[in-house]
Amino acid sequence: MFLREMKVNLKSFLIWLGVLIGIFLVVFLIYPYMFDQNNMEMFDEMMAIFPEEFLKAFNMDIASIDTVFGWIKTEGFVFILLIIGSYASILGSNILLKEESDETIEYLNTLPVTRSKIVLTKFLCGICYVFLMVLGLGIFNYIGLALSGDFDQKSYLLLSITPLFPALVFFSLSMFLATFTHKTKKMVGISLGIVFISYILQTIASVSDNVSFLKYFSIFTLSDTRYVIENSSLNPMIILISLMLIILFLGLTLIHYNKKELI
Amino acid sequence: MKEMLHIQNLTKYYGKIRGIENLDLTLNTGDIYGFIGPNGSGKSTTIRSIMHLINKNSGKVFVNGQEFLKDDLETKKIIGYLPSEISLYDDMAVREILNYHESFYNNIHSRRQELVKKLQLDEKKKIEDLSLGNLKKLGIVLALMHKPKLVILDEPTSGLDPVMQKIFFDILKEEKEKGTTILYSTHILSEVSKICDRVGIVKDGHLIHETTIDDLRKKNFNFLTVSSKDITKIKKELDLPIVYEDKDTIKLKNNLEINLVLKKLSNYKLDKLLIEDPTLEDLFLHYYN
Repeated sequence: MFLREMKVNLKSFLIWLGVLIGIFLVVFLIYPYMFDQNNMEMFDEMMAIFPEEFLKAFNMDIASIDTVFGWIKTEGFVFILLIIGSYASILGSNILLKEESDETIEYLNTLPVTRSKIVLTKFLCGICYVFLMVLGLGIFNYIGLALSGDFDQKSYLLLSITPLFPALVFFSLSMFLATFTHKTKKMVGISLGIVFISYILQTIASVSDNVSFLKYFSIFTLSDTRYVIENSSLNPMIILISLMLIILFLGLTLIHYNKKELI
Repeated sequence: MKEMLHIQNLTKYYGKIRGIENLDLTLNTGDIYGFIGPNGSGKSTTIRSIMHLINKNSGKVFVNGQEFLKDDLETKKIIGYLPSEISLYDDMAVREILNYHESFYNNIHSRRQELVKKLQLDEKKKIEDLSLGNLKKLGIVLALMHKPKLVILDEPTSGLDPVMQKIFFDILKEEKEKGTTILYSTHILSEVSKICDRVGIVKDGHLIHETTIDDLRKKNFNFLTVSSKDITKIKKELDLPIVYEDKDTIKLKNNLEINLVLKKLSNYKLDKLLIEDPTLEDLFLHYYN
């Protein structure tokens, strides 16, 4: 059952990974030509125009984008978090619901498996793919950075792990929310909405101290790239909160799916 | 005879709309039970409640003497189910889904091969390429290949050509000989008369009548078709419900003794007199109306 689930979700995984790798491949190819001594000065002048809050929102106050690693630490992570977050959300929305929208649940339900096993198998499959997405992109970027010059390997390693936490929370939250509906399209819309609202809240929260409380409403706060860049370590509280949220949503999914009308 | 399926006071409402209400039903081992009723009468709701696809409001379902609960895997293993509209994994080939199904049970490969051969199913084909009839055949194999003791079939012949229907009925008869219990839900009454021992008629979510096929046929009414110039007087004399009327001809639903009818009619000059037994459809409508 697990292998069947892995096979079903392989194609979309490869497409999403391909898109992400494609974006970063372009960056690695063009970045060396973007910055030389002349346009570096122009760039510094341009950056000086931006308010501090804006730079803070993209971590540009603590990292410079004059190298490709600098870009990844700042703008690059916006892409990574948003794309992996979206992938995890869509996966979480679809993984259980697809059986209902395709009406294959009527067959699956006749097999001698419990509903809890169905949820756990699909959850494990989703976890594997989110993990593989982070790993796949991490390895690709590592190779790209290694070929582009020197970079702080430890900092990179820690940074490349950070998307895992919000992505797994998005996945488990979407899976739970999917137990309230039978319609895949509706659910995908809702979960992508949560991803983008989370991102907007986190960006606004980092702009001003007055609205910094908004970060507590954003799942992207769990990536905490700023903490990693500044401290060269992962925030253990973030790991703990992420784990607690994942377990909570998994538990709620199990409870609600066991009560759900499947057709 | 041992009870294989016992449904006790099963009730399911969709919001305020009644699906089924206080439905009781018992199938003994080896029964082929025709569960008949038109669309929307509550047949599929009953079956989906038994299979835990929907949540019943109240009532209990017992299979093989034990209450069948949602995660009772041992009971699930002895149930075969064919839904009215089967949906399977389109990306798989027939062989793959049969292998997948087989992986959940023990020692069922020979039965699988037997059924595939009988139903002439091509294992190499992709499920997405199967016609409705072939998809139904695959559904039948999946419902029967794990040698279930209780088989629940919801409109099983839709999409099957007459040759395949014959093969399918032969398979069901073999299953009956082995002692398999079959709940056969349909609105096609000719199928019921071919293979079922007993029937239950469902109306507005209630089981309104249960009988054997033979008793159903012996139901005490028939149809009289009379042609006569005195048709108005005959109509008044017999005072029976009119099924059809045209100039000098009338068709009546008769529940009087034939001798009495003949005695009454002997006073008139008749052009034609036809006495017909009701078809299963007529019997069904009799209960329904």
